[in-house]
Amino acid sequence: MGTMTVVRLDADTLTPRQLNEKLRELLASGAEAVVENPRSRHNLGVALPGPGHVTFKGSVGYYCGGLSNGGSIAIAGNAGWGIGESMANGFIRVRGSVGQSIGASLRGGTIVVEGDAGPRAGVAQKGGVVVVGGNIGFLSGFMAQRGKLIALGDASDGVGDSLYEGNIFVAGRIHGLGIDAVIAPPMPEEIDEIESIIAEVGFPLKPREWKKVVAGRKLWYFDKREGQTWLKV
Amino acid sequence: MAQGVNHRLPQMGRSKIWTPHVIEDIQAKAELGHYQIRGFSTFFNIPTLDQLTFLPAAMTRLPLEGYREFCETKTVLGGGKPDRVSQPLELDIPIYIASMSFGALSRNAKVSLGLGASAVGTCTSTGEGGMLEDERQASKKLIYQITPSRYQLDLDHLRRADAVEIAVGQGAKPGTGGVLLGAKVIDKVVEMRQLPKGIDQRSSVRHPDFLGADDMQIKIEELRDATGYRVPIFCKLPACRVTQDVKIAAKSGIDVIVIDGMEGGTGASPEFLLDHTGIPTMAAIPAARRALEEIGMYGKVSLVVSGGLKSGADVAKALALGADAVAFGTAALIALNCNAPLYEEDYAALGTAPGYCYHCHTGRCPVGVTTQDEELQKRLDPEKAGERIASFLRAVTMEVTMIAKSCGKSNVHNLEPEDMRALTLEASAMTGVPLAGVDKVVAPW
Repeated sequence: MGTMTVVRLDADTLTPRQLNEKLRELLASGAEAVVENPRSRHNLGVALPGPGHVTFKGSVGYYCGGLSNGGSIAIAGNAGWGIGESMANGFIRVRGSVGQSIGASLRGGTIVVEGDAGPRAGVAQKGGVVVVGGNIGFLSGFMAQRGKLIALGDASDGVGDSLYEGNIFVAGRIHGLGIDAVIAPPMPEEIDEIESIIAEVGFPLKPREWKKVVAGRKLWYFDKREGQTWLKV
Repeated sequence: MAQGVNHRLPQMGRSKIWTPHVIEDIQAKAELGHYQIRGFSTFFNIPTLDQLTFLPAAMTRLPLEGYREFCETKTVLGGGKPDRVSQPLELDIPIYIASMSFGALSRNAKVSLGLGASAVGTCTSTGEGGMLEDERQASKKLIYQITPSRYQLDLDHLRRADAVEIAVGQGAKPGTGGVLLGAKVIDKVVEMRQLPKGIDQRSSVRHPDFLGADDMQIKIEELRDATGYRVPIFCKLPACRVTQDVKIAAKSGIDVIVIDGMEGGTGASPEFLLDHTGIPTMAAIPAARRALEEIGMYGKVSLVVSGGLKSGADVAKALALGADAVAFGTAALIALNCNAPLYEEDYAALGTAPGYCYHCHTGRCPVGVTTQDEELQKRLDPEKAGERIASFLRAVTMEVTMIAKSCGKSNVHNLEPEDMRALTLEASAMTGVPLAGVDKVVAPW
């Protein structure tokens, strides 16, 4: 290390298409790239390969890191909707806050937000880990199938609505559960795992009252016995 | 009372309100505590393309030799934006196999469809649930469908597709997500969809990361970027507010709009949605064409139509009304042997019989098409079934070209509304095609 060349790109002088083509080439070769002036443009850094790294020196718009297979992304500002959507592998870190649907249908890898996340964080999540340093918005974890959504702050109303096998861990207050979501006590080994994850991504460890939100499984089967649950939906 | 006449018996089943089906439905709900779910498509008697007829050439036009002269069937979808799509979807015929999932369909059914479609130079579509490798191998051209559930949405699969379709909805159950009952959520389906085994899967209807047209526009650009601006992006819409929906989809940057009429089939749907939602395919086509014309996009954005299309006559009528291509779903499954008089004891076990079966939702398809059961799907030999699909598509294409040539057209895409007349007032009013005999459009508005 130490000999790695940092390639600087200017989003003001390239179209997102040109920029992404260069980023794919650079990251596939293991290079480190810095993108100046992202100015919240949409679709920056989508479908990236590993093993390289890119830093966006500002805020990005929708779908940054979406569909990626690898690589790591650092976003110095805030981010729009669908950050890391459908990502299969890779790492994304957002210095600020994000809009809705962070990690939508995430399949693998890790996404870290230091600030807050908007509604539907971890919606349809199928794997991987989403860590939010602040609060998560309305209907977060909706229909999450697998993976972990971890909030160090509060969860808004409707958290864990229609969950499958996704797990949501909330350190702060839960303002309201979604349909068929229940709070279960996390096992000691689960807390160890969660704290190991958050320590690894740089959040300070301190005593927290972890709540785990899982599926009540009443929506899993189209069954007369669960008629009252179905009538709510 | 005359001796021997039973005055009670003739009254049974005569009510047009309390028909045997209505009685059965009420009593089933009373037993189950929820609505009924089933496969196939609407059982309602709705206006169809059968209410239109062609006017082949006579004295005013010259027909082509139907048995000899050539009629072009080549079809290009998504060719209207060369700067955005470097490889439009080129098909040898104006018919492809509609989006139907592995899950709803067996692996052997998917492979059969792929082999059959490939043999006649057309494509299939993954439907919901990800790309089955065997289907990718069997289908020379394959549309990769992205549904709100996003099961196994994979970048490598996306890049191996010949087109990408964003599913907004389907004609069988507009405004509702997909349904796959527990009997089919097993083995490979569980692996691909990452669902708990045996659950009754009910997919979301809203996409997880875009909600409206403005967001979808950005999503389309993301998909273009991820696929190197190579393949066309389709959008599948249920036929509802067709005029508005088509305009919005076109303005969002979509290359190909697929309109799925209310006759559209399904592996499983709440029954009342099959019968009481959406508009007929016949009504949807002219509405979609008009919408594109009004915003100057007709010919730039391709139009595909599906939902209840069953023959070359239907295809020709859809093309004449303004479609660039059609997609066959149920018709293709029937060509695979759906409802064929085979294994009749297994139809009986489902409480049905060949010709009447709509039990795709049970996963016990007697002919191995809509099942995940290993033994049942062995009844479908992909090689032989693929040949049936190819033969069916060839026969249908011959019907289309025969109609086109009889109307004096050397290209099936030259069929036009002026080549037809309506047989009913409602068909004329819905399509703008003049009523037979009087040659006037029934449009009191």
